[in-house]
Amino acid sequence: MTDELSRNEHLKEASRYLRGTIADGLRDEVTGAIVEDDQQLVKFHGMYLQDDRDLRPERTRKKMEKAFGFMIRVRITGGCVNPTQWLALDRVARDYGNVGIRLTTRQTVQLHGVIKSNVKNTIKAIDAVLLNSIAACGDINRNVMCVVNPDQSRAHAAAIEFSRAATERFLPHTPAYREIWLDGERIAGGEQEVVEPIYGKTYLPRKFKIGIAVPPSNDIDVFASDLGFIAIMDDKGEVAGWNVTVGGGMGMTHGEPETYPRTADVMGYCSTADALAVAEAVVTVQRDWGDRANRKHARFKYTVEDRGLDVVRAEVERRSGTKLAPARPFTFTSTGDRYGWSAGTDGRGHLTLFIENGRVVDRPGKLQMSALRGIAQTHDGDFRITPNQNIIVTNVPTDKQAEIERIARDAGLLAPWSGLRRNAMACVALPTCGLALAESERYLPDLIDALDKSLATHGLSADDIVIRMTGCPNGCARPYVAEIGLVGKGPGRYNLYLGAAFDGSRLSKLYAPDLEHDGILAALDPIFAAYAASREKGERFGDFVIRAGFVAKTGNGADFHANTGALKHTAAA
Amino acid sequence: MSSSFATIPKTAPFTEEDVALLNQVVGPASAVQRAWLAGFLAGVESVQGAGAAQPAAPARPAEPITIVYASESGNCEKLANDFAKSARKNGLKPTLVDLADLELDTLVSAKKLIFIAATWGEGEPPARAVRGYGELMGEGTPRLDGVEFGVLALGDTAYVEFCAIGKKIDERLEALGAKRVVDRVDCDLDFAQPAGKWIGEAIKTLAPPPDETARGRVIEVDFSNKPSPNTDIVEVEITELTNLNSSRSDKETVHLALAFENGTPAYRPGDSLDLYAENDAAYVDELLKLAGLSADAKLRDELIKTRDVTTLSLKAVETYAAQTGHTYVKKLIEDGAAKDWIVGRQLIDLIAEFPIVLSADHLRAVTRTLAPRAYSIASSRSEVGDEAHLLISAVRYKTNGRSRKGVASNYVAERLKRGAKVRVKLKPNKHFGLPAADKDIIMVGPGTGVAPFRAFVQERRAAKATGKSWLFFGDRQFTHDFLYQLDWQEALADGSLTRMDVAFSRDTPEKVYVQHRLFERREELVEWLDNGAHFYVCGDAKNMAKDVRASLVAAYADVKQLSPEAAEQAVAGLERDRRYLTDTY
Ligand code: SRM
Ligand SMILES: Cc1cc2nc3c(=O)[nH]c(=O)nc-3n(C[C@H](O)[C@H](O)[C@H](O)COP(=O)(O)OP(=O)(O)OC[C@H]3O[C@@H](n4cnc5c(N)ncnc54)[C@H](O)[C@@H]3O)c2cc1C
Ligand SMILES: Cc1cc2nc3c(=O)[nH]c(=O)nc-3n(C[C@H](O)[C@H](O)[C@H](O)COP(=O)(O)O)c2cc1C
Ligand code: SF4
Repeated sequence: MTDELSRNEHLKEASRYLRGTIADGLRDEVTGAIVEDDQQLVKFHGMYLQDDRDLRPERTRKKMEKAFGFMIRVRITGGCVNPTQWLALDRVARDYGNVGIRLTTRQTVQLHGVIKSNVKNTIKAIDAVLLNSIAACGDINRNVMCVVNPDQSRAHAAAIEFSRAATERFLPHTPAYREIWLDGERIAGGEQEVVEPIYGKTYLPRKFKIGIAVPPSNDIDVFASDLGFIAIMDDKGEVAGWNVTVGGGMGMTHGEPETYPRTADVMGYCSTADALAVAEAVVTVQRDWGDRANRKHARFKYTVEDRGLDVVRAEVERRSGTKLAPARPFTFTSTGDRYGWSAGTDGRGHLTLFIENGRVVDRPGKLQMSALRGIAQTHDGDFRITPNQNIIVTNVPTDKQAEIERIARDAGLLAPWSGLRRNAMACVALPTCGLALAESERYLPDLIDALDKSLATHGLSADDIVIRMTGCPNGCARPYVAEIGLVGKGPGRYNLYLGAAFDGSRLSKLYAPDLEHDGILAALDPIFAAYAASREKGERFGDFVIRAGFVAKTGNGADFHANTGALKHTAAA
Repeated sequence: MSSSFATIPKTAPFTEEDVALLNQVVGPASAVQRAWLAGFLAGVESVQGAGAAQPAAPARPAEPITIVYASESGNCEKLANDFAKSARKNGLKPTLVDLADLELDTLVSAKKLIFIAATWGEGEPPARAVRGYGELMGEGTPRLDGVEFGVLALGDTAYVEFCAIGKKIDERLEALGAKRVVDRVDCDLDFAQPAGKWIGEAIKTLAPPPDETARGRVIEVDFSNKPSPNTDIVEVEITELTNLNSSRSDKETVHLALAFENGTPAYRPGDSLDLYAENDAAYVDELLKLAGLSADAKLRDELIKTRDVTTLSLKAVETYAAQTGHTYVKKLIEDGAAKDWIVGRQLIDLIAEFPIVLSADHLRAVTRTLAPRAYSIASSRSEVGDEAHLLISAVRYKTNGRSRKGVASNYVAERLKRGAKVRVKLKPNKHFGLPAADKDIIMVGPGTGVAPFRAFVQERRAAKATGKSWLFFGDRQFTHDFLYQLDWQEALADGSLTRMDVAFSRDTPEKVYVQHRLFERREELVEWLDNGAHFYVCGDAKNMAKDVRASLVAAYADVKQLSPEAAEQAVAGLERDRRYLTDTY
């Protein structure tokens, strides 16, 4: 492994605090693209240059360049947006996007297919409702995730307050975003004057993700985050302090065992007063210790794995001037959403809606985008985007509940009956994602139709089983902490992972590689049969497959690639 | 009546037009004249024409005659030339004037005046003739008492304002005191025969009276216009046929590459090709079914290949009424409602809504010959050699509850395949060519209007032209309708195109068109023009061309702080010295 700095490091260094030549690139009207270096830089501004992969085959023949379009990822701390903001997002999605609104696995909103000449218009429109896309992507702290549990309103209030503080603390200071997208005043010699107090010129070695959880819900998958905080409640139901988790992450590369997903370690406990200082210390440790030579080894999870938890803890304590107490006990029960109505304070209610794979769009017979617009127009509470790509209409007064439920029902926004579908997630993948090896969002619904048949024959239709699919091993839908994980290998081919914990605390294990549709069904059906026949009371599917000896158990990551494969050979698998 | 003096058989070794001309002369000629002509022609053979010219030589100085033409795509211009040729042969001294350059006072100088005028747009004069026409119709036109005149009008019965311009000029000249000595003839798209006949007769009336000393009077008809290879119909092979719009676009614009096997016409950037299409068999079958003539295979073939079975002109409705005696159709005409009724309708609607027993001849009578369609050539021979490229947009629309398909564009888009053959004919346009290589050019070509500019850019690349070039293109969506995007990127990279601005109307809530971009860039635009740049507009005539001109006028007014009138003058000035050139349709 080389010590040579990676290409992106030089790029950041030379970018004049993320300006590069983006502004010039926008002026060239004859191409929808921007130059390679700027493509790296715009990520820090929350956007990606992509192209519609469905159209690739025909473009050259038609004497046209690739069908370029920008993916714009908005930064929405904890997924909280008000109706005005939702209506603005809905508007830009229709005016400038090409496939509705995409709710993400990290509680934000993405637009796709925004052509270059419309990016500024889009950014301006969302800025007008106090939203932006700064640092939604890039080697920097990303959107901070926060539990949605609306019924624990006091705990949620504390958690979201902390999330916002963290967001603020880790925002970049460069005015580049304002200058480029909002025609903001260019401070003379600005690039020299800016100081990035936390990041410096080269920001972080790699993306960095923070998540705030409040037990018993682990909806944010705290163990998949670089840095996590788990609220510890006092007996009055108030947040007393936080357990700190470090070194979680999903991404890996097929055929490169030195890359692997990793569940975070619980590093210790700190008070709310110290929490932000601890967070900052963790971020700067990764800034200074993270691998800037090899991007595939640059995530914080590898820093923790290589240096060891104790060394990291000591350095964090030194930098933050806080001694971490031993972690306090906590219990997670699930990573999923609780669909339907839940009671809030003062008679208000919260309605959790089901959005298949987070794609909010109008389809024949399912006018979901219009429905949400309709709700936003009558609703005076808030919306909360969940880490499961769903959305919650929060604080609905009693007199509005019937109407909003009707709108939702008519558009098919109420949760389906299938336990598998209720607990499913798929990443975007094709046609926009440049890294996709296989379909995901466009395929999972059909696969679930098929699996539901098999589950029905074993009387498991209503059981909550977590299934997640991604089009490549990067793991955007956190498939390695799903009871059933399907990871794209090539067109129509998936690796099947089993054995993760229902509460997201344990990774899965490769059960069978390169399965096509029928292979997936054939592999799972006998296991479903066995589960139905011989599970213990309340035993989760993910735990069962290990106890019943279908797959080996995975520890926190380093052993992810060890003794893979089907241990017990069922008829089909 | 033309059959009444058909003396020379169609089988004679002359083109149809020539045979027609010959008949006009020989047909009505007296026995003496015929005898002389026979002897004379024999003489021509033996004496190699030396003595032959002599008997025809006029006895007194040739009388001047002014021939004014108002032409856009060159038909009237060609006819005017034919007229001049045979006028000269018949003791007249012709001066040819493009209405675009007409100086009013020259009208009076000649005592004989001919106008050959086309109608464009919706009953408007050809673009470059607008000024001259305006002056002719406006105040301060000199009286034309004592002037003898005749008008030949070209048009298309498919348009409500059939030959409107010819008609107006005809009235105007009379109003100015001139004497109509030849009655106006309004020609449809198949104008060759009637126009030839009209010319023959006009010359007969206007040429000096028979010279007593001569043995009989000779009408010299110009036999010399033998078809040149460049103006022949040739069959070419389609080597490429690609819809350039993305599969997500609701438009279809075909890039067509044609290969000439034996000899490529010497086309120049700015020229067009006339494409000879066939009708949609499905449409014809439906038509025949409605007419109760499905059984007639010969008729079917004839209609598909040679007749214009879609256009519904007032003339056609009248013929239908006359031939079938259909009472309702008669009534439609008597009530004067026919003119409005035909709008947005085709022949098939007439037969569908007013069915009656029809014969094959009825159908022949209500249809005219299928005219070719012109397409700007989108390539330069210096780059594509023996090929010519066309850019054809499929015309599809719905009117009166029926979906309609443009004949030629869908013949290409839906029925032609790679490797198939198609008949084309060069249609030169010497009024839309490139300036000297060191001159700057500004090209405005949204949609298919961009076609000739691809030829321009290719030509200038090959010529290593030093002049700068600036292209304005527009269509619906950047991603799905950017015609020839890769070509433009390449041209910008290698410098054969200096800059390009685009306007896509459906990418933003508010529509943006080329005229808006022009105005946004007005500073540089006017600067280019001040430095002598030539300004070209090609494409839609209905709105685009007008809006573009208006926005250029606005640009002048704003940049140079001119009054609207002065700005208008500035642009008119560009038109007068041929630096504002249009090819619109
Ligand atoms: C939209 C989203 C998936 C979804 O269906 O919701 C997503 C979509 C993409 N992710 Fe992701 N990631 C998304 C959550 C995740 C998660 C889940 C999480 O963080 O809880 C992970 C796994 C956790 C982790 O980071 O390890 C994740 C790990 C990756 C990786 C692998 C990172 C690694 O270091 O291993 C990449 C590729 C990379 O960064 O090189 C990636 C890259 C991408 C890109 C931008 C592809 C690219 O780099 O060209 C995808 C854009 C697809 C598209 O067309 O929209 N995405 N990505 C999620 C947006 C989150 C957000 O709003 O910020
Ligand atoms: C000099 C010149 C150059 C040209 N260059 C090009 C070129 O480069 N590319 C190109 O595509 N075309 C070009 N054209 C236009 C082309 O010649 C044809 O007119 C066009 O392709 C339509 O022919 P068609 O046979 O398909 O349709 P037709 O069968 O001739 O039908 C066209 C007629 O349909 C009617 N119509 C059309 N649209 C509507 C509507 N929306 N509503 C109601 N009625 C309607 C109108 O009466 C119109 O005249 C050019 C024309 C000229 C004169
Ligand atoms: C875009 C367009 C519009 C036309 N408009 C009319 C019209 O309104 N009335 C008419 O009688 N002929 C109209 N014509 C037919 C022309 O007058 C006819 O083609 C004529 O032969 C052209 O003569 P030129 O080549 O000298 O310009 C139109 C032709 C085109 C291509
Ligand atoms: S998991 Fe892979 S395919 Fe899916 S969105 Fe992420 S990067 Fe794209």
